[in-house]
Amino acid sequence: MEFSLIPFSSGMIQKQAIDEVVRCNDYTKRFGIMLTQEQAAELVETRFLALSGTGRIEFGGGVIDRIIKAFCDSPYISKHNYTQTLHDLIEIFYHAKNETADLISDDDLIKFMNRAFDGVCQGSLDLLAGSEIFRLANNLRFGLPADYVEDELLEEAEEDE
Amino acid sequence: MNNGLDKIRIIEPGALDGEFYFQSLIEQAQIKELLNEAEIERLQYECLALLAKKAERYNSGFSSSLRVEKAQSMMASGLFTIGVCLKTYPSPDDAITALKSETVDDLYQKGRERIDTLLTSAKMLYQNLLRNLAEIKNVFYRATIEGGIKGFFKLYDPDYSAQEIHITADYPTCLAVPKLTGIEFITAYLNRLYLENLFCLIFAPEDIHHLMCGYNGEYEELLINVFEQVFIAAIGCVLAGTDPRRLDVSGSEMLLYRQFEGLSDRDISELIQTAAQKLDRIFNLSPQLYGYIKSCLPSITDKVKSATDRKQLDKVFFNPDYPNEKPELLYSFGEKMPDAQYRKVLEEIDLCRFSQDKIAVIRESVHSLADMEDILLDAELTHEEVMPVLGSLGLPELAALSKRYQLQAEIGEFGLSEQEQNIREYLKEHITGMPQKQREAIEQMVKVIREE
Repeated sequence: MEFSLIPFSSGMIQKQAIDEVVRCNDYTKRFGIMLTQEQAAELVETRFLALSGTGRIEFGGGVIDRIIKAFCDSPYISKHNYTQTLHDLIEIFYHAKNETADLISDDDLIKFMNRAFDGVCQGSLDLLAGSEIFRLANNLRFGLPADYVEDELLEEAEEDE
Repeated sequence: MNNGLDKIRIIEPGALDGEFYFQSLIEQAQIKELLNEAEIERLQYECLALLAKKAERYNSGFSSSLRVEKAQSMMASGLFTIGVCLKTYPSPDDAITALKSETVDDLYQKGRERIDTLLTSAKMLYQNLLRNLAEIKNVFYRATIEGGIKGFFKLYDPDYSAQEIHITADYPTCLAVPKLTGIEFITAYLNRLYLENLFCLIFAPEDIHHLMCGYNGEYEELLINVFEQVFIAAIGCVLAGTDPRRLDVSGSEMLLYRQFEGLSDRDISELIQTAAQKLDRIFNLSPQLYGYIKSCLPSITDKVKSATDRKQLDKVFFNPDYPNEKPELLYSFGEKMPDAQYRKVLEEIDLCRFSQDKIAVIRESVHSLADMEDILLDAELTHEEVMPVLGSLGLPELAALSKRYQLQAEIGEFGLSEQEQNIREYLKEHITGMPQKQREAIEQMVKVIREE
């Protein structure tokens, strides 16, 4: 056994994480959406793959429970697309974490994603992963507020309205 | 009551790794079946919990994830800190008992406190060393002590990278530092430096300088241990019956050789030990310093043994050298002519159709070696044109150019431009073609010549 390198990919972290995800059902059942043990394990697996892809490590349930609690009341999520949306959101989250070079905290990033998903993206995960995360990363890189929108874009939006 | 009997140990301290103590202790405990699977699993979970706690503190709640490299470094730091705590137990078996009875978090906290204590002691020792630093002219000695170790204290982070050394600790100590890392390495390294410095302080800096010049004229820029040479010279003085304070065994070569000749390894070892004891009495060494000297004796004895076998004791007991007392030839390349005038000379050389005319212009217009060197570099002269110009130079000028272009050094052309390499080759060719007496005179001059 190699004690020096705690096996990050081993069952230890996974088991702890799955338990934390399943515990979220207590909160989400009021919205009629719940996860089975198997679905929770799949979400944790997705998180693991996303983390590996970005060269990061996370302990416990990490952000999955926070993503679940932030998005479970979204008008664009139902029991039919709940699990798949969560898979996508987890991937987008870690992708965004890398894109923003850790310049935004987990909570602020989830808040931003939630606002964008329910607002300008109108439930489109492609829009969220594409233009919105790109805009966020750009804003942070140039020291602008996360929600900053260029004047031209604002004017266009106003004209549309 | 100590009845002289040792307790039977299940894990031998020698089987453990000083650098990765905790990990090697666990491995040994597994091999000897002192820890069962459940206990190992508990330790792993607790280590993971410790890492999670440290990661959270590191990110200050900002982010729940961190780079894998950082996590691995943090884990290595945590395991090192636990290892520091486990080393405080009287034996590895006691450390295993502690692993069974205490939580990883408790062991970490104890290790962290121990690191703080070690850090405070190391800083005090370092301050003491800096205040009394021997005037040793070796650049690595001063750079490592004054710059390197200072850098360690600046960069060392016991919370998140306790296992890091950060510096290269270039200067070698006589007694090698055991396989350690982090603050443990620096403590051991500083202790050695402190004691070696303490010994060197006994002697006058100029005596050490002359002794080291006898070892190598360029010792100031060599990565060597000075204490070892000083100590060997002091031992040599005791054996030769001269004053060890002067570090001078000149004229005692035969006497020393006769003392060692025909002795068995054991006798040589005893002879050196006796000399070390005499040194202890003469200088009234502290027990710590004498203990260190005793630890260094085996390696020094080996060197003396091998030198005796090869009949080359002079390679171990060096005679001091006094470079300042040697004659010196100061030479100036002279002042350069103004740029405008130099350009005119170059143009004139360029306009000449025949080589003889070019040489005539050079002889007429160039009056300093500095200008001559520039012309040789800039005028794009051919081999046939350069050789007569070199032929017009006197021996001191040729010696000065030889010194500048490092004709004696085999790798002298390293770092030279193409033009400079050409001059070097022409110069070499010209000097090689000279009579032997003149060649020898140039060689002698190169040794003592110094540019003003």
